[in-house]
Amino acid sequence: MTRPVGVEALGVYGGAASLDVRALCLHRGLDMPRFDNLLMREKTVALPFEDPVTFAVNAARPLVEAMSAEERNRIEMVVTCTESGIDFGKSLSTYIHHYLGLSGHCRLFEIKQACYSGTAGLQMAVNFILSGTSPGAKALVICTDLSRFALADAEAIQEWAYSEPSSGAGAVAMVVGDCPHILRIDPGAYGNHGFEVMDTCRPGPDTEAGDADLSLMAYLDCAERAWKDYARRVEGADFRDSFAYLSFHTPFGGMVKGAHRTLMRKLYKARPDEIEADFARRLGPSLAFGQRVGNTAGGSVFLGLAGLLETAPIAAPCRVGLFSYGSGCCSEFFSGVVTPESQRRVQASGIAAALDRRHPLTITEYEHLLRGDQVIRFGQKDATITPDILPAAWAAIEGTGRLVLDGMVGYHRTYRFV
Amino acid sequence: MDSDQILDLLTAEIGEVVPDLAGRSFTRAESMAELGIDSIERSEILINTLEKIGLVLPLVQLHGPRNLGELADLIHAKLAAA
Repeated sequence: MTRPVGVEALGVYGGAASLDVRALCLHRGLDMPRFDNLLMREKTVALPFEDPVTFAVNAARPLVEAMSAEERNRIEMVVTCTESGIDFGKSLSTYIHHYLGLSGHCRLFEIKQACYSGTAGLQMAVNFILSGTSPGAKALVICTDLSRFALADAEAIQEWAYSEPSSGAGAVAMVVGDCPHILRIDPGAYGNHGFEVMDTCRPGPDTEAGDADLSLMAYLDCAERAWKDYARRVEGADFRDSFAYLSFHTPFGGMVKGAHRTLMRKLYKARPDEIEADFARRLGPSLAFGQRVGNTAGGSVFLGLAGLLETAPIAAPCRVGLFSYGSGCCSEFFSGVVTPESQRRVQASGIAAALDRRHPLTITEYEHLLRGDQVIRFGQKDATITPDILPAAWAAIEGTGRLVLDGMVGYHRTYRFV
Repeated sequence: MDSDQILDLLTAEIGEVVPDLAGRSFTRAESMAELGIDSIERSEILINTLEKIGLVLPLVQLHGPRNLGELADLIHAKLAAA
C-alpha cells in the first residue's frame, strides 16, 4: 500500500478589506436581472500595504508557528503558485521563505498556469513526498493571488468589466507531507485536460482581459473531459456516488453550478430537481468562503475545500472530488479523503472570524483605491507606502501580527509585522 | 434540419432556461446578451440545444457568433460536418 500523503495543515488569509459585489454591479450599471443565481456576495480588495507576499505569509505563518523547530526544518520546498508575480526572475518564494524563517536547505520557486497553479503546485509537492528521496520531508505550497487594476481610463474599465465583480484576493497555504490531517490524497487518482485557448489572460501586470463566454465554455469542456480522464484511470469511479463532497475552482458560484449541472445531465441525464439537491448537498458547502473573498485564482479550489470542511457535516472519513481549472488552459480532477479531524482543525483556525474583521469598503473608498496612487507598480524601483490611507482598513490589520508591505528600496520590497 | 429550425430550437431553450422570455420569438439579429441572458444561462441554452439535436463537440468550437442568426448558422454548419 502506498504511504499516506497529502495536506497536513491548511491556512487561509482573506485580507483586510471587502466590497459588496451587488453594490459594485449596481454602481457599474451592469444589467444582472438574476444576480442571485450567480452566487456572489463579497470580494476581498487588496490594500496598498498588501501584495502577493503579505497574503502568502499571512496565510502560512500560523501553520509554520504551530510546528516544532524540528518539523519546520523539514520544510524542504516552498512552491508559490500565482498569476500575480512581482518580478520576472526572483520568485515570491524567496520573500516568503525569509519572512517565515525557514531553513536554507530548501527549494524555492514559483509556478504559473492561471487558476490551475495551485493544483500544479500541490501535485508537485505530493510527488516529491511520494518519491521518497528525502524521507520525512515536507513541502509548503502557497497559492496567492490578487487582482489590482488601475482605473486608467474608461477603456480600462470596459476591458476589465467582465471580471471585476468576481476578481478577489486571498491566499491558501498548505503543508504537504506524510501525515495528511486535512486531506489524504488518493495517489494516482487524477485526470487532466488542457488545450490552447485565449479565454482570459493577464497581458500586463495591472490588467486583465477575457471573454466570459469562451472562458465558461473552456471550463465546462474541461470539467467533462478531466473527469473522464479521472474515470479512465480510476476503476469504478462514479461522479455521483464516489464523492461525499466536491470542490471546484470557483470564479463565482454560478459557474460551478453550471459545470455541475452539465456533468449531471451529460453523465446521468439527471432531472433538474435532482441536480439542484445534489448541488446544494455536495457543492454548496464549498462556496462558503469563495462567496466572501471572490475568485482567489490558484487558491480557489482549496478555499472551497476549506469552506466545505468548515460547514459540511462530516461524521466519518469521506472522499472529496476536486476540480481545478486555469485559463489558457489546463485542468485537473483529483480526489482525497477528509475526516472529522480535518474538520476540527479547519474550524479551529478561525477563517470566518478573520473575514468578519475585514473593513467593508464603500464604493467611494474602493474607487479611491482603484486610482492606485498609493500602489506599488510592477517594475517600480523605490517607494514608500502610507499605511493608513484608509484608517478604518488599517485598523482591521494593525495589532494582528500580520505582515504588511512597507515599500521598495532599489526594487527590493520591504515588509514588517504589525 | 436547416438554420431556421435550429433558431426555433434555440428560441424554445431560451424560454426553458429564462422563463421571463418564454413564448417570445426572436429575430436572427438579436443577441442573447442584449436580451439580458447572462453567460451561465447562455451556456445552458447552448448545451440543451446541442443535446436536442444530438451534436457532440467541444463548446469552445461554438464561440464567436454575435447574434442568434450567426449562432444558428454555426451550429448548422457543425451539424452538417458531423
